[in-house]
Amino acid sequence: MPFPNVRLSNRPLHFIYLCDCSGSMAAQGKMQALNQAIRQSLPGMAEVAEQNPEARVLVRAVRFADGAAWHLAEPTPVQELQWRDLEAGGITAMGEALSLVAHALQSPPMEDRALPPVLVLISDGQPTDDFDAGLSRLMREPWAQKAVRLAIAMGHDADLEVLQQFIGPEPAGGGKSPRRPLQASNATTLAQYIQWASTAVVGAASMPASRIAQSDENGSNIPLPDLPPTLLDPTDDVGPLVW
Amino acid sequence: MVSRAWGSGTSCSVIGAAHRRQGKPCQDASLSCQLGSGAQQLQLLAVSDGHGGSRYWLSEVGSAQACLAAQAAVEEALRGHPLSNREQWLRQLQLELPEAIQQRWLEAVHRDWQERPDSETTPFSSSVYGCTLGLVLMAPQWWGCTGIGDWDLVGISSPGEASLLSEESLQGGAAEATTSLCQADVLGAWRERAQLHGLGDGPAPLGLLLSTDGIRKSCATDADFLQLCSQLMELESGTPLEQALMEITAQGSGDDVSVAMVQRSGQHSGQRTGQHSSSSLGLGRLGPVALALGIAAAGAGGWWWLQQRRPAPSPIEREVAQLCGAPERINASLSQRREQFLQLLRQPQAGKALLQEPERDPLGALIAGSMGGSASLQACLPLKQALDAHWQTARKTPVTTPPSPQVPARP
Repeated sequence: MPFPNVRLSNRPLHFIYLCDCSGSMAAQGKMQALNQAIRQSLPGMAEVAEQNPEARVLVRAVRFADGAAWHLAEPTPVQELQWRDLEAGGITAMGEALSLVAHALQSPPMEDRALPPVLVLISDGQPTDDFDAGLSRLMREPWAQKAVRLAIAMGHDADLEVLQQFIGPEPAGGGKSPRRPLQASNATTLAQYIQWASTAVVGAASMPASRIAQSDENGSNIPLPDLPPTLLDPTDDVGPLVW
Repeated sequence: MVSRAWGSGTSCSVIGAAHRRQGKPCQDASLSCQLGSGAQQLQLLAVSDGHGGSRYWLSEVGSAQACLAAQAAVEEALRGHPLSNREQWLRQLQLELPEAIQQRWLEAVHRDWQERPDSETTPFSSSVYGCTLGLVLMAPQWWGCTGIGDWDLVGISSPGEASLLSEESLQGGAAEATTSLCQADVLGAWRERAQLHGLGDGPAPLGLLLSTDGIRKSCATDADFLQLCSQLMELESGTPLEQALMEITAQGSGDDVSVAMVQRSGQHSGQRTGQHSSSSLGLGRLGPVALALGIAAAGAGGWWWLQQRRPAPSPIEREVAQLCGAPERINASLSQRREQFLQLLRQPQAGKALLQEPERDPLGALIAGSMGGSASLQACLPLKQALDAHWQTARKTPVTTPPSPQVPARP
């Protein structure tokens, strides 16, 4: 060891799911699809983590329904993660979930040298509590401002406006963009989006690359990878619309 | 002969472990040189960090040019301003050097752009060359610094005791963000980093270490970072320093890492004194681009420091040492070169190109050299086994796409 008393360390990359577990998620197999999509994405996520040893990918999850609570409270190395199924029931305390995450993103416990966290908000409905207060609380935290914030709308009842507020300013022009809510209308699309967020985005967030302060960068804190090609191709069959 | 107040400086840039694995170039550059003569003699240390990422795809050229621009601008200032006039030099550090460096850098990267085929179809943008720049000047009676971006300057007050003398302070929400040499309206950011201290004004540092952000981000805490700086200062320059930086990036951030450092006269380790001549330019491992820029540096008044007193390990030997030193990373490194294994099977002649210029892509050259089996390779068993396993997997993979011209993984 050439550097006695010096702790060299790779950089933690916190990946946090915020999952809507309201009663409507029980309908049409949405909850089951979400559990399955997350579970199936884990091997790919672990592979990406293995390929980027300079980042230590740590996963957590928040569930929100009548209230918000940590479903997976400990930052867990993705390689060790065993996904425990979420269950649906209740209303949509999304604002409380954002406050919960805000607390976790305080520094400390967040490490000074962490990579920008990745926050993935998944919802099929509208917040039933004070979303604005939760978002405001979240965005007061520097680590939340630094985070890559993604949102997945499950079905057409999801409140795209609040999901967009969570992500940040909408990019100019039309078309699909990671800077807009990703709309999953069936289990196949949901699985593709979850897979994309947990592999391509994690891979991009793991890379040691700087960016110019106050530059546009398409509004993102890291250069976001393209969405999977099949999702951009309107002619591609990604399954029937079921939600 | 350097200023009597200061010993000889040294600088070193090493490609990041992540960039090495992915076949990307080192986007850091660093410089240590002596400028002027007689009473008008000072030393310059500089480090520059190209932003990396696809948007800043020429930042390795930008960082090299930043160091050269700093050298040329300081040389010019030295001709017009006596070192004894500290007020003038503080103004230089706050205002005039930033303007001069930025102007020279813009001209240099614009010239570089005009020589590229892309310039015929794409308008020039300095942002693709984006980089940071930190510089320290050491005069007989004072030292000063200025720069832009997320470089750090550490002062060593006594053996083992270090403190942070300068760091970038950005408001929350920065996220890997930094100010950049390619930004037009950031002279205020330079001014914030400008300092000038007389050596007789109070306790002066015994050593100064300038580093790019990859070093600090490799440490668990700032206390570890300061401790690391103290220990780096004690290292013999050349291969030991380079190997230390390789270890730092491999165990830490994976980012490119650079240091430029100097000690006050009488504070040197015995090994370092006398080993340095008056100029060294560390440009990572940029291959022909670096060579061309290095020649430009020589033309501008600097000259290459040939530091190796004993045969240095080859790029492949260094690669082997790095991988065998961190065997848990072997598979991660080789897995990202799956396509390269396949391409080498399709185009065996490409392996010769890699082996002829191993410094351009050491890992690629190592892979090419193991194509016939790892038995003859001087390497640890886990690396040999992993190489053989990857070749075996590649040979079982059906060919599904036509050959693409990407085998030399570096441009």
